[in-house]
Amino acid sequence: MRNLKSTTLLFELSQPGRRGASLPPCDVPAPEVSELIPAAARAGGPPPLPEVAEPEVIRHFTNLSTLNMSVDTHFYPLGSCTMKYNSKRNERMAALPGIADLHPLAPEETIQGLLALLYELQLMLGEIAGLPAVSLQPAAGAHGELTALMVAAAHFRHLGQARTKVLAPDSAHGTNPASAKMAGFDFVTVKSNASGFVDMDDLAAKLDDQIAVFMITNPSTLGLFDRQVSEIARIVHAKGGLIYLDGANMNAILGIARPGDFGADMMHYNPHKTFSGPHGGGGPGAGPICVTETLGAYLPTPVVEQRNGHYVLATNRPLSIGRVRSFFGNVGVLVRAYCYLRTHGPEGLKAVSENAVLNANYLMSRVKHILPVPHGERCMHEFVATAAPLKKNHGVTAMDLAKRLLDFGFHAPTVYFPLTVPEAMMIEPTETESKETMDAFAEALFRITEESPELLHDAPHSTLVSRPDEVQAARKPIMKWTAEVGPAS
Amino acid sequence: MPYFYNTPADQQAMLAAIGVSSIDELFAQVPAELRLGRPLDLPPALSELELAQHLGRLAAQNAHIGEKVCFLGGGAYDHFVPAVVDCVAGRGEFYTSYTPYQPEVAQGNLQVMFEYQTLICQLTGLDVSNASLYDGGSAAVEAVLLAMSVTGRQAKVVTLGSVHPQYREILETYFACLGAKLVTVPTPRGAADLAEVAAVVDGETACILVQHPNFFGCYEDVSALAKIAHDAGALLVQSFDPISLGLLKRPGDLGADVAVAEGQSLGTPLLYGGPYLGIMACREQFVRRMPGRIAGQTVDRRGRRCWVLTLQTREQHIRREKATSNICTNQGLFALRAAIYLAEMGPQGLAETAELCVRKAHYARERLTVGSRLSAAFDQPTFKEFVIRDSQGQVEELLAQGLDAGYLAGIPLGQWYPELADCFLVAVTEKRTKAEIDGLAEILAAKRESTAPRPHARLAKTMV
Repeated sequence: MRNLKSTTLLFELSQPGRRGASLPPCDVPAPEVSELIPAAARAGGPPPLPEVAEPEVIRHFTNLSTLNMSVDTHFYPLGSCTMKYNSKRNERMAALPGIADLHPLAPEETIQGLLALLYELQLMLGEIAGLPAVSLQPAAGAHGELTALMVAAAHFRHLGQARTKVLAPDSAHGTNPASAKMAGFDFVTVKSNASGFVDMDDLAAKLDDQIAVFMITNPSTLGLFDRQVSEIARIVHAKGGLIYLDGANMNAILGIARPGDFGADMMHYNPHKTFSGPHGGGGPGAGPICVTETLGAYLPTPVVEQRNGHYVLATNRPLSIGRVRSFFGNVGVLVRAYCYLRTHGPEGLKAVSENAVLNANYLMSRVKHILPVPHGERCMHEFVATAAPLKKNHGVTAMDLAKRLLDFGFHAPTVYFPLTVPEAMMIEPTETESKETMDAFAEALFRITEESPELLHDAPHSTLVSRPDEVQAARKPIMKWTAEVGPAS
Repeated sequence: MPYFYNTPADQQAMLAAIGVSSIDELFAQVPAELRLGRPLDLPPALSELELAQHLGRLAAQNAHIGEKVCFLGGGAYDHFVPAVVDCVAGRGEFYTSYTPYQPEVAQGNLQVMFEYQTLICQLTGLDVSNASLYDGGSAAVEAVLLAMSVTGRQAKVVTLGSVHPQYREILETYFACLGAKLVTVPTPRGAADLAEVAAVVDGETACILVQHPNFFGCYEDVSALAKIAHDAGALLVQSFDPISLGLLKRPGDLGADVAVAEGQSLGTPLLYGGPYLGIMACREQFVRRMPGRIAGQTVDRRGRRCWVLTLQTREQHIRREKATSNICTNQGLFALRAAIYLAEMGPQGLAETAELCVRKAHYARERLTVGSRLSAAFDQPTFKEFVIRDSQGQVEELLAQGLDAGYLAGIPLGQWYPELADCFLVAVTEKRTKAEIDGLAEILAAKRESTAPRPHARLAKTMV
């Protein structure tokens, strides 16, 4: 029953003269555009966009949507991405005209309600982090990392210290080293030990007075809480460095432990993960950061402040690193995070982490009989299994398993990350899944490991397309439609 | 309350299967001395109904653009959003999916990315587009970093005073860490003086960053600036207004090497500044230095056309500190909105939208400057925005009077340009009606004659 035209491109649907939108006639007396726009700037005609009728627009994109897996339709245990249920009530709140239809340069007296919300959000994020100074400006987690590293750089400049190094473990997200470089630092990788934690000897060997920041993801990308974290903080602080916490995995410790209490000086949140903002097919996110009182002076401008019951966007902050994003930030995402926090409260947030950790441990208890989980008897909100024995004995890879899971109606876990585990499958069920769903997932995984390797190498079998040729895509990249490219056979 | 399924019975069954007696036992790896040991100091949980009431109260304290007629622009615009955009973009299969790591179950998103990239290439006249960046400001910064990377010139970038001041502020923030210098050529006449630009562009310059139409709504001579840049071995980066390309020559046709834009105008509401859409397109030879995700066409094992993320060896998850950027997301939802918007508008719709903007803005500029007190700050043609100077220098009072009468009348410019402290920026989109423009003119005209409060503004106007 699939619409066979669903994968026809907009450009192939185009017919001259068709159109969707209709616009009103011009209701003001004004000269023709040829008199208003300098000839040198004026184009000979509009750009060569496709011409389609409105019903076609709806049918085209609606059919395309059905080719996606999503949280609303499928179990999506994509480790590190916290694909939890996206609350519909938060969508309704964020779409209120008094929230959504505000201009970013509107006078402060016309947006007092929104500023009150953002101010309160700053306080709540600071409390959950144990780090009181907050910037809501960064547009994504990676942007938050970068902003925090710029804050650190400004801090050391102010102290007159020329520190050049940012350190992070080999299990860190790729954004950590990339952000360090963009903030002007040299990046140094610290090894993990056999248990998946920071190798303290390697850290000690690489720690000198050139360290600016040690970046740690805790709970780690292996889904483990590194008990050494306060000791790491102690020795890094002793060298004059700062601790940055990658908050990607905050879903495990809400109301349980606070980064500021276990040694972090700076952190970012991923509200689109932890606080359930919809991922939108790959964005938007947001990356608010929390820092110590001391580092607060360097946060980007503006921050929301309260003065005599009035909310203002404070810009007069002499030590600030300046601006990192136009306007205020990804307010729409922040409003959803605010709604999430207000509807959960302190007990609800703690229950989120308790059930996220319960679900992950339960699923791990089911999965570890099928695939080994090299690190840890227990996990936090996620765990990393490995298909390495399966590969060695049967030639079946993590990718094969991932692809075959799609046939069973499950989105695949994150595969081949972290880089420290061979044939890694990083599984994060989140708290918004049921025991029955996790049982069904484990059952499917078990059945798959019993299937013939040939069947798995060719999976998926039930999707619209089979495995794409990624090598060809990269070797001769086709990144747009042109009349010559046309449909493939 | 949390959205979970687990009943106490479920929890007991799961704990038994794990082999522990309590949830607390699962947290044993978190040392006791690092635990919080008290409830978070947060307000108690609200039900959905209470949340709606609370947000309703907060929202009521804000003056949205349905209540105040919006003449604010400066990089975020009150353009019309057709219903089809919300209808399609709100579908859960788009809305609650994520990065297409498994292309077989993300062909919808990937095809949209590919279509978006094609639409942006058609719009800009450039060879390749990425699948989007955070917003217009970060796109401008990333374009400058790309230019520094491809030219190998890490020390100097030239820009103009007429480029969005916040974009320049972001660049200054990044450059403070990278040790590069941003040379800003002032634009006292509203647009670049070519000789002044040429005088500072040299063999050390990575690029010229220009905005056209610029922050003041004026046109820049992008072709001439591109020549200045290219003669010095530098690139030309143009920040553009997507709506303007219904009528204006495309960045690629003007000689731009990289084009960036704030994509909010293409189907996204104002949202108090975000999330928005960073558009970036460039010439083919720079694609391997481009930041952000890119969708590419390929075939599956049965030879069928399909789409994947491609050229990922540029990206942080593979290259780590050697990546082109730390960016690991796009703005998928807003790229989708832009694609739907452009499909719905088509070439004619975009041209008509641009035409309505430029004609209405022209009318508004004429109407506002009829009397002697207000004048156009720059003697230049403008697109959908223009700068008004108050000869009495009372911008704050003037805008406050507009607000009282129901108009978000303009953006005061003194915050970024001390020499324009007596000026404000007015934007006019296709949504503004003649009645609204006339109304704004009347209010500001009532102020024109006297600064004393007048109870009967309408009467005052008839007496002018």
